[in-house]
Amino acid sequence: MRFTTPLSRALLAAALASAASLSAAADGPLQAGHEYLAVTNYPNNLTVIDTGTDSIVKTCTLPDAFGPGTIQISPDRTRAYVLNNHYGDLYGVDLDSCKTVFHAELAEAGNERARAMFSVGLSPDGKEIYSVVNPTKLNRDSYEVQAPRLQVYRTDGGLDAKPVRTFAAPRQTTMLQAADDGSLFIVGADIYRMNAQTGKYDVAVPLRNWKRPLHGQPDVLYVWPQQRPQHTFNLLYTADRFKDEKKDPASAQTMYGYIDIDLKTGTAAVRDFAPVTEVYFTGGLSPKDPNAMYGVLNRLAKYDVKNEKLVEAAPLDHSYYCLSFNREGSKLYLAGTFNTVAVYDADTLKKLKDIRVPGGDMAITTAQMFTR
Amino acid sequence: MKHLKPLNNKAKKLEEAVQQDRLEEVVAMTSVAGCTSTTDPGWETDVFGGVASLCQPMEADLYGCSDPCWWPAQVPDMMSTYPDWNKHAADSGADWRQLGSVFPKDK
Repeated sequence: MRFTTPLSRALLAAALASAASLSAAADGPLQAGHEYLAVTNYPNNLTVIDTGTDSIVKTCTLPDAFGPGTIQISPDRTRAYVLNNHYGDLYGVDLDSCKTVFHAELAEAGNERARAMFSVGLSPDGKEIYSVVNPTKLNRDSYEVQAPRLQVYRTDGGLDAKPVRTFAAPRQTTMLQAADDGSLFIVGADIYRMNAQTGKYDVAVPLRNWKRPLHGQPDVLYVWPQQRPQHTFNLLYTADRFKDEKKDPASAQTMYGYIDIDLKTGTAAVRDFAPVTEVYFTGGLSPKDPNAMYGVLNRLAKYDVKNEKLVEAAPLDHSYYCLSFNREGSKLYLAGTFNTVAVYDADTLKKLKDIRVPGGDMAITTAQMFTR
Repeated sequence: MKHLKPLNNKAKKLEEAVQQDRLEEVVAMTSVAGCTSTTDPGWETDVFGGVASLCQPMEADLYGCSDPCWWPAQVPDMMSTYPDWNKHAADSGADWRQLGSVFPKDK
């Protein structure tokens, strides 16, 4: 058969294109030196995007159920760990083969149900994985809330891993991240720092209890523990800033600010960056310009931190929750909510590309940028 | 409690508990995000009392809320009670018509 007619040439082209996309979805090792973005979505996928080409290199199917799909990438960049199965289990997936190599059910045996609220983190050497777990005992006639616990697992614990250490944890916490010295920053009413060996913790960065001159109590909504190129652990807050010591709410300005914890030194920068005019769910400082701050929800916005001014804002075709930077700081990747990762130029805020990930909504995933 | 009279069994149990000094300290839920432990607005109105900072379209926020049991009065709790609510609507933008109302099961 000779492929001379337009129809048969079109059919051949279509066949080749679909074969190419199938092989992109197949398992194969990631390449050294390449930068990738990992995202999770419904029904229960993990997709890896190469930021050099802004195209999908593979999609892994994850076991059990999706939710929240919070990812942490291992320090050696060989594994993605995911908090999943309706907040009840931790999984480790080999990024080269898509095989599940680690699994831990967070509930202790018996009549306990346990949920980790976006709480998953790795030790700096990748040997341990941490989660603060909220347990409930399901008795015959009543539910009994138990005290929260930090559960520590070895990442070589296999497919039925059990905690090697458990410590009492502060109540009402969400995300956590390990510093280079192995201690854990845990975000709650304040940001705590816990020794992962002894379980001892204290307040590292006060939030609800901060004594910041001319500022009211901050409000924090941040459940995306992103591994930033700058090796920081960051979140946003809003807080009233008063004109003077009279602290008159009528003349206060509600400010957006960031908290950036340097994971190498353990020091935190707490700084207002702009008046609140719209809501952002995630944001962060530019890897290449520490005076440029970005935020996203219904718009993608860029701020001049020193002057507390909006520099530029781009409308989005729908809300995005999760903002990631490539290591150069030249591109922004918007993930979460639906099933398109949007790529933007960090300087001009012009859209560069939409990357449709296989499957459904990413919802409240935490996307992670990493270099193999 | 002097002028209050228990009318049903549960109220009688509460009164007994008070008399036997078996009432425990009431604490807020251990989880700060999820299942009615938050009073954040964000579904009917945004934090400013308007609509501009609501997620757009509404479906963009749908599973981000049902996953962690946020505002269970408006969306089913997918964390524990209705984990399969979106089984046929992984892509909410395209398949929201597959989502149904939920009702408590008869015990």
